[in-house]
Amino acid sequence: MTARYPAFADDILAHFAARGAELVEVPVIQPADPFLDMAGEELRRRIFLTESETGETLCLRPEFTIPVCLDHIANRSGTPRRYAYLGEVFRQRREGGAEFFQAGIEDLGTADTAQADARSIADAHALIAALLPGRPLGVTLGDQRVFEAVLAALGLPRGWQKRLARAFGSPELLKSALADLANPPRRPPLPDDVVELVAAGDKQMLASHVSERMEEAGISAHAGRQPEDIAARLIEKSELASVRLAPDALAALQAFLSIRVPLRGAGDALRAFAGETGISLGAALEAFGARARVLAEHGLPEDVAYYDAGFGRPLDYYTGLVFEVSVSGSDRTLVGGGRYDRLLTLLGSGAPIPGVGFSVWLDRVAALREGA
Amino acid sequence: MALTLALPSKGRLKEAALERLAGAGLEIEQPGDDRRYRAVVKGRDDIEVALLSAGEIARELGQGKVDLGITGEDLLQESLADMDDRIEIAARLGFGRADVVVAVPACWLDVDTMGDLDDVAADFRQRHGRRLRIATKYWRLTQRFFSAQHGIQVYRIVESLGATEGAPAAGSADVVVDITTTGSTLTANHLKVLSDGVILRSEACLAVSRKGRSTADDVAIRELAERLNANS
Repeated sequence: MTARYPAFADDILAHFAARGAELVEVPVIQPADPFLDMAGEELRRRIFLTESETGETLCLRPEFTIPVCLDHIANRSGTPRRYAYLGEVFRQRREGGAEFFQAGIEDLGTADTAQADARSIADAHALIAALLPGRPLGVTLGDQRVFEAVLAALGLPRGWQKRLARAFGSPELLKSALADLANPPRRPPLPDDVVELVAAGDKQMLASHVSERMEEAGISAHAGRQPEDIAARLIEKSELASVRLAPDALAALQAFLSIRVPLRGAGDALRAFAGETGISLGAALEAFGARARVLAEHGLPEDVAYYDAGFGRPLDYYTGLVFEVSVSGSDRTLVGGGRYDRLLTLLGSGAPIPGVGFSVWLDRVAALREGA
Repeated sequence: MALTLALPSKGRLKEAALERLAGAGLEIEQPGDDRRYRAVVKGRDDIEVALLSAGEIARELGQGKVDLGITGEDLLQESLADMDDRIEIAARLGFGRADVVVAVPACWLDVDTMGDLDDVAADFRQRHGRRLRIATKYWRLTQRFFSAQHGIQVYRIVESLGATEGAPAAGSADVVVDITTTGSTLTANHLKVLSDGVILRSEACLAVSRKGRSTADDVAIRELAERLNANS
């Protein structure tokens, strides 16, 4: 390792090798589209963009997960594979430098998700414990799948479930989505000729009406939203127009989101919640329990992990587990990790490939080592 | 020390700004030659006037190269990432009014609000193999409104340098973020503004660059702002 790398880079590589993850290198200069497509336009002002001579938008690698997945897809590698990486990432930040190091492991294609999740958490925790000996660490877990199971078990309309699942992980968005459902904003009236079609629930006539309007506007019915989509959603929406989120469902969601317990008590807490609410969380609760049991086998100390029912990331490719590692009592995240079963398909993989991984903020770890 | 005041170099914004300044007792003497971009204020040799494009005024204010400027709030908000750190809006002038709005095809009968658009954007990739595209020249305002205010993450901005309202029909975007005064151009293009889709109600403003200056200059600026405000 050169002098640019953190002094403890070799320790990290040895740790990865000991845990059987293969080191992978990905280019610093990456096509920007996959990042903007996956993480959204908000990323645009936080990355370093440039353009190739031929007009392709390029960026300096802002993180590793997407490049590692793209590399895996491009090489048609078989699964399961566990890729380790250590290198610089580049972001425009208000605090700290614009170039800093990250290291992590991405586990692609392991079918046993409980095993893969547990191994990822345990790998991350063991790495930080080795880099910061003597520091008390905390691991926080969240699980979008459990939240989705609660939404389904409460019998909420599918459109609502999707909306709330999208807001999961952002307290403000969730609060405003819940407020909207409890007390929907007034809608502007529909054009007269549409009202009857909607009232009759005549999807086909409505679609052909939309199609005429599209044609009139010169909008192609194939390039984007289609008349059938619009008609179906309009009818669904009008059916829900008079439905409100019931107070007991709202209370149940709020009770769920406030669950924050040591992981070893999380299964019981969820069962108690389900019992009080009169719902069953079924497979999601089983999967949650299976992961928690396997975690101990992977050597995670029992008392470091917490479950926070409201913890998630509002990005559509995160599908289940999310976790963070930090020094106890500090809210500075040292490791961010999670399950992204939808990511590889979004990136163009023909077959669905489940994935879980974590990334370590090495600049923050270095600061703590120096401070020690 | 002289203060530099940047004014729009052409169009209605320029005429309205000159008229307002004259009303406040500042008569701008324009260069005889149209190609010169300097002007003076009659009887005030402590103020230099630079005639610039409205967009340039926003940038120059942000960089502290001019002390004062009259330009549209939309341009200030759009060109300056940290507007409140860099400039202060000292007076709102009531002309050059226009709204920056989110507009969707009128045939999207099921979409009235940003919440609806959030639903549509979330499903878009799965249904159409690409993200929802928004045509605009206001990418900063758009991104702030969609991502920060409404939590809509998954969309792509297509930069549009003119005739943004034509983008959906041209097939280059699905929705637009555009500036409008009466909405008639949008309507003519079969677009409708979302009920909660007004991003900014813009008007011409007197903006002051935040930089160190003498007390005398500060006083002169306050006095000018007050006169322009009182005049509105």
